[in-house]
Amino acid sequence: MFFHIVLERNMQLHPRFFGRNLRENLVSKLMKDVEGTCSGRHGFVVAITGIESVGKGLIRDGTAFVTFPVKYQCVVFRPFKGEILEAVVTLVNKMGFFAEAGPVQIFVSKHLIPDDMEFQAGDMPNYTTSDGSVKIQKECEVRLKIIGTRVDATEIFCVGTIKDDFLGVINDPAAAA
Amino acid sequence: MDNKGPVQKTVVLEPFIKLVRLLARAFYDDYTTKSDNQPRTARSDNRGIAVVVLDELTRKQWVREEDLAKELKLHAKQLRKIIRHFEEQNLIMRDHRKETAKGAKMYSVAVAATTGGRAEDKVKFHTHSYCCLNYPQIYDIVRYKLHRMKKKLKDELEDRNTVQEYGCPNCQRKYNALDALRLISMEDDAFHCENCNSELVVECNKLTSEEVADGDDNARKRRREKLRDMLQKMEVQIKPLMDQINRVKDLPVPDFGSLIAWEARAAIAARENGELNPNDPLRSQGGYGSTPMPFLGETKVEVNLGEGKEDVKSNGGDSSLKVLPPWMIKQGMNLTEEQRGEMRQEAKVDVGSSKLSDDKKSAMEGGDEKDLLKDEYFKAYYAALIQQQQELAQKQREEETGGEVGAPDNELASTSPNRQVGMKSKREEEEDVEWEEEAPPVAVGGNGNYKVDLNVEAEASGGEEEEEEDIDWEEG
Repeated sequence: MFFHIVLERNMQLHPRFFGRNLRENLVSKLMKDVEGTCSGRHGFVVAITGIESVGKGLIRDGTAFVTFPVKYQCVVFRPFKGEILEAVVTLVNKMGFFAEAGPVQIFVSKHLIPDDMEFQAGDMPNYTTSDGSVKIQKECEVRLKIIGTRVDATEIFCVGTIKDDFLGVINDPAAAA
Repeated sequence: MDNKGPVQKTVVLEPFIKLVRLLARAFYDDYTTKSDNQPRTARSDNRGIAVVVLDELTRKQWVREEDLAKELKLHAKQLRKIIRHFEEQNLIMRDHRKETAKGAKMYSVAVAATTGGRAEDKVKFHTHSYCCLNYPQIYDIVRYKLHRMKKKLKDELEDRNTVQEYGCPNCQRKYNALDALRLISMEDDAFHCENCNSELVVECNKLTSEEVADGDDNARKRRREKLRDMLQKMEVQIKPLMDQINRVKDLPVPDFGSLIAWEARAAIAARENGELNPNDPLRSQGGYGSTPMPFLGETKVEVNLGEGKEDVKSNGGDSSLKVLPPWMIKQGMNLTEEQRGEMRQEAKVDVGSSKLSDDKKSAMEGGDEKDLLKDEYFKAYYAALIQQQQELAQKQREEETGGEVGAPDNELASTSPNRQVGMKSKREEEEDVEWEEEAPPVAVGGNGNYKVDLNVEAEASGGEEEEEEDIDWEEG
């Protein structure tokens, strides 16, 4: 799920960036530092949408760096148990398959794939129904439900299922081609 | 003061009691207070005790746990353990309080009011615990329990929402699907143990974990068979419970409220029922008018008096709510009279009218079996009274028409204007139709009747003009 929240961060800036463009430099550095990171608490920071405030800079002892407390608005993405996501399959093996929904990785184990889908080993490993109408392989898009999340300090990993109504393959570029 | 009245009057308790009994037998019949490591002999086997406790609780409302233990011939400690268990299950409300003599009295009054029996009188000043079945909660709890059971079995059956577990055959280390990212190896597609790098195998799930299935189809099929069987059995076994829940679904749920609220309500109910209860703490607090509680009761009486009039006017809405025993009105009115010593005349008038309205009211709802006898008595009394008054009025009218019009020496006539005013204002309040019905006897007889009534009081005040009007009206 996406959230628009305000976060705070202490930015250290080298004196060579001081001057007329101090603020721009600060913001660009913040974007570089923060966007794409993941915190267990808030999830993945997708994008910074604005700066709330830049506090007074504090010169660090011993170094020339100056610390600015910056409050910024950002969009974060935090997956939850029970959430429905659309993801792209990245890897298929006999234990199940891995998929990615933006920054988050999701594993769907074999027993959470519908029973009528069988694993086909080979050049392009895939799960296929007995009549061959549905095929899950690398690069195809699936809709899945998250049934478990592991949230560490710096990463989030999810386990999903496609064994429910309206879940499964939604678009297969390989089949379309 | 909330005048909802005793709960059991408006709410049918029976289906809920049945629900609780079914619940007890479905889920708690093998509950035992013994821990598992103790050897279980035939004598100490107390399975089913929980059912007995729950059954007993369905026959009570709030009950002191000591009393309950005594009745069940259980040790208090044992009972407390069971009760605590049920409290954890949210089936039971409990209340603990340090008992004073007054508190104990309140409880015994409440018990006497609700059961008709009498509670134990000799109470020590200890902390006492009370418990009561929490019917609104029980309904939800049962549904939730069943829902969870079914969902668990169904999920298990469909392998839904279970995080797959993996085990290492070498070092017995366990993993689950959330570790998948770390376990996947680049060489082949399998998961590998972080310790010994041997290939992990799928562990099968909890409910049927006797054989570690290696995920092969046969084991899986067998497991599914078993689960389906279980689900079916469960459906059959909880069928009566489900039926009862469906039956109870749309019924109003009995709610006894907290212990204090329950006691207060029971005490009020007891007083309304007219049981002269010497234990009644509200009553034994002192004379009327000296303490706030009787005063509150008095104000209530006045309010109900007004409602009673409305009741007469509207000719029978739901009169059950507004029933007031005549003795109560009388007491209240006596009190008013005493309080306003100088306004005695008015008070007396009020008494008369209230009596009248009460009479009508009681005539209207003769179905009340409790007060039937009393009503009969009052009816007879009022009938006699009215008759007598009518006779008097007749006689008086004869006198009036025969003698001088508006003779000042006639006390009856001089008091009449007051009554006249009162009657007139009352008539304005009430609907014409109503008056038409009552008109012939009351307008004539009633008028006279109050003259007589006031005559007894022998207090005269009133202007001549009004008197003239009165007579004009009577003649024309």
